Amino acid sequence: MGPDSAPGPAVPWRKVLWECQPFPDNYVDQRFLEELRRNEGIRQYRYWAVVKEAGFVGERLSCVAIFITIWLYIEEGLLSPETLLWTSLVCALLGYGLHQALTSQVESGCEPRTRLADLQSATIFLSFTFGFSPVLKTLTESVSTDTVYAMSAFMLLAHLVSFPYAHPSPPGSFSLNAALFASVCLASRLPGALHTFAMLSCALLVFALWPCLLQRLRENAPSQFTGVCVGVCIGGVGGLGSQWPGGAVLLALALWSVTLLCPLLLVKLQGQKDNIQGPWDEAEIHEDLSHF
Amino acid sequence: MVLKIFFPQCCNRADSGLLVGRWISSQDSAVVLAVIHYPFIPGHVKQYIQQMQAKSGVELSVLGSWSLPKDGQEGMESFLRDLSTIFPQERWLQINREVGKMGFTCQVLQRDQNGRVVQRETKKKNEKVDEGAGEAGGDEEEQEEEKVIFVHYEQRKVMLSQLHPIENGVPDPKTAPPSELRQMFQTVANSQPLFFLDRYDDGPLKSTHWQTEGREASIIVELLKQALIPLCMLIGWLLSVWTWVCNIRIFSLYPLRFLSSKLSTCIQLSYRTEHMRLLSSPKPAAGHMQFMRKANIVVSFLVDVALGMLLIWWLYRDNHITMLANMLVPAADHVAKELDELLQWLMGAPAGLKMNRALDQVLGRFFLYHIHLWISYIHLMSPFIEGILWYGGLSACLGLTFALSLLSDMVALLTFHIYCFYVYGARLYCLKIYGLSSLWRLFRGKKWNVLRQRVDSCSYDLDQLFIGTLLFTVLLFLLPTTALYYLVFTLLRLVVVLFQGVLHLSVDFINSFPLFAMGLRITKPYRLAEGVKFRVLCEEPGTALHLLMEINPLKCSAVVQTYRTLTYSCYPKDSWAALVKKLFVGELIYPWRHKTTKTD
Repeated sequence: MGPDSAPGPAVPWRKVLWECQPFPDNYVDQRFLEELRRNEGIRQYRYWAVVKEAGFVGERLSCVAIFITIWLYIEEGLLSPETLLWTSLVCALLGYGLHQALTSQVESGCEPRTRLADLQSATIFLSFTFGFSPVLKTLTESVSTDTVYAMSAFMLLAHLVSFPYAHPSPPGSFSLNAALFASVCLASRLPGALHTFAMLSCALLVFALWPCLLQRLRENAPSQFTGVCVGVCIGGVGGLGSQWPGGAVLLALALWSVTLLCPLLLVKLQGQKDNIQGPWDEAEIHEDLSHF
Repeated sequence: MVLKIFFPQCCNRADSGLLVGRWISSQDSAVVLAVIHYPFIPGHVKQYIQQMQAKSGVELSVLGSWSLPKDGQEGMESFLRDLSTIFPQERWLQINREVGKMGFTCQVLQRDQNGRVVQRETKKKNEKVDEGAGEAGGDEEEQEEEKVIFVHYEQRKVMLSQLHPIENGVPDPKTAPPSELRQMFQTVANSQPLFFLDRYDDGPLKSTHWQTEGREASIIVELLKQALIPLCMLIGWLLSVWTWVCNIRIFSLYPLRFLSSKLSTCIQLSYRTEHMRLLSSPKPAAGHMQFMRKANIVVSFLVDVALGMLLIWWLYRDNHITMLANMLVPAADHVAKELDELLQWLMGAPAGLKMNRALDQVLGRFFLYHIHLWISYIHLMSPFIEGILWYGGLSACLGLTFALSLLSDMVALLTFHIYCFYVYGARLYCLKIYGLSSLWRLFRGKKWNVLRQRVDSCSYDLDQLFIGTLLFTVLLFLLPTTALYYLVFTLLRLVVVLFQGVLHLSVDFINSFPLFAMGLRITKPYRLAEGVKFRVLCEEPGTALHLLMEINPLKCSAVVQTYRTLTYSCYPKDSWAALVKKLFVGELIYPWRHKTTKTD
């Protein structure tokens, strides 16, 4: 006797198990699928908004490309470490001023860092880097160049993968450490101690301080943020193109797919989403592997 | 119910008489210890048994009668049967042996309650008298009720043997009583006073049992024992002087105490002092274990001294000492030269490994300077080495163990540079490993929570992250260089430790091996019994079953395990896994902490 062929009883069916009812256990009536809900709490993505968010990923990619470009320039001797140091100093001062300006606009809840603490941090960075740069220079002398390149590439990739794109300030420990490790590896292949020092300072700017500034910009001036992202991407492609055209083409392709193609795919595929929820308990399969 | 009668083999051919022994009532068996011959006066027998009971502490009693009819003694049997009324017992054994037959026959007379049973017995006796000698109908009935097994034992062996495992101290009344076999062994061993009655004594009683045939030897032993008392006192006095010297305050100052706890000669000295203290105590050994312990110590001490004398004889015979001394300095020089070459090799590109050149040079020069210092130290010492060896060799007259300990200490002193290298390398390596492990946590944005003993996530500041990563990179790239130095010097150190370990092991072997117990096991296997085995002697229908009890000697491994003298090798050791872990982490390993585990 199936559930459909049940005779019309006098008592209505109730969805309880503690009462004796003249229905089989698997009986349901017409109201079965009334409570079915589809795609609950879905966010409708708009293409350009997604592109704007994805631009940040592209920006990080371009930053890595810019760092590699600078390293290539220094290694070939096209850029002297003094120039790089002075440029870095100017950039850092400008960025610090901008950061302060943006911070003063917003009423920050927690106590802000004092100038003295910032100065202290800067001194620590500079003195440690300067003190260690002769050691770092000889560090990978006996390790083969291929190993160093492979290690750097791997670490930069790890940096890109583990970067906290949603909240990049402060940058996540692992991503920052991976990037610094890669830059130490790369910097140790440079010809002199000053080169190493300049390279590490530059790495500090690109990987540690620049994301902080960019986050402030994203919070306080979203329109400028988009512009900055586009500028960094163009700069990255252009810079890499001047040294390694093939790499520039690859970077441009990657940027195109990350910022334009992937959001398009996301928006298109969202139409296919079909997620149902209802008053039932979802079956969860707990496989007990212990007795195998 | 089966009645077991333990019967001594020496009484097999004894003349007729009374059986003296003990009932082990709980296990339903009887131990026959001796036969008291006819003629006797019952009052004398009772008095004698009481005396023996007081002396030995064994519940002796008259078990029954024994008859071995000889010519002209035909009427004995009924007389012996009547004796059961003179020595009232619950059960009365009547054991017959007929000339020319292997087996005995045994009759058991029960006497449960006083009046009625006595009557019944007398009735039985009447019947027996009526039906003539032999087995009467009533007795046959009783034999069907109670079967008898004869277990023949060799009285001397059982008396002298010690059943293992040994039960020490007062037996707990709550636990089960000792097994039948143990009780039997104890009974025979304790009733030694019974066996002093000589066959040729002119006393009122004559008896058959085991008796010693070496009275003269035992007199010599007694004399020796008396002579040992002043010797013990002398050793005790010397020991007290020695202890007083050791307790002078200057020896308990820190550096001396530390040194003496590290030098194996001092450790050996303290062991010997302890042994001598044990030996010189005037009290006789209490119990089997302590006796064996003392005997083991004495024998191993004597063997030790004998081996030491042999060594001295060899050393001082053909000026071997000078030869050794002349060999030692070039050997040390040679070792230093080899080390020098090893370091030069390490400072290049050892085995094609890529090391950090700067660190490599620094470490290599540091160690080279150390070797230079070492060589000058050896050359400063070289005029005195012969004298040191000459006087050190004299220590062998205290025993081979002293000479070996001294050798171990000298090796330790001569290879001090290797030890130093090892410590430097291990400390450096350990520092790096710990630094790397904590910086690796920082690298992943984690930290070690000391309070909860776990790894927690933690948000670090930018400058912390930066410096941490910088240090991590530096340490990571310098690790192979340090690790290689550590590896090489650890291997060198392990070679030295291995050699010292072999020395320690042999010293320990001489100290702890139970030589006396082992000799006893080989020459007189029955002295250390593990159990017994039975062999069927004769099994004729109509007579009782006869078994021969033989003593199973203790296994040699069990002898060593039971009687070894406790030394430091008996303490728990590090496991191999713990050792490998220590080596990997770079913790220092010391051979003298416990017994070293690398060597055995």
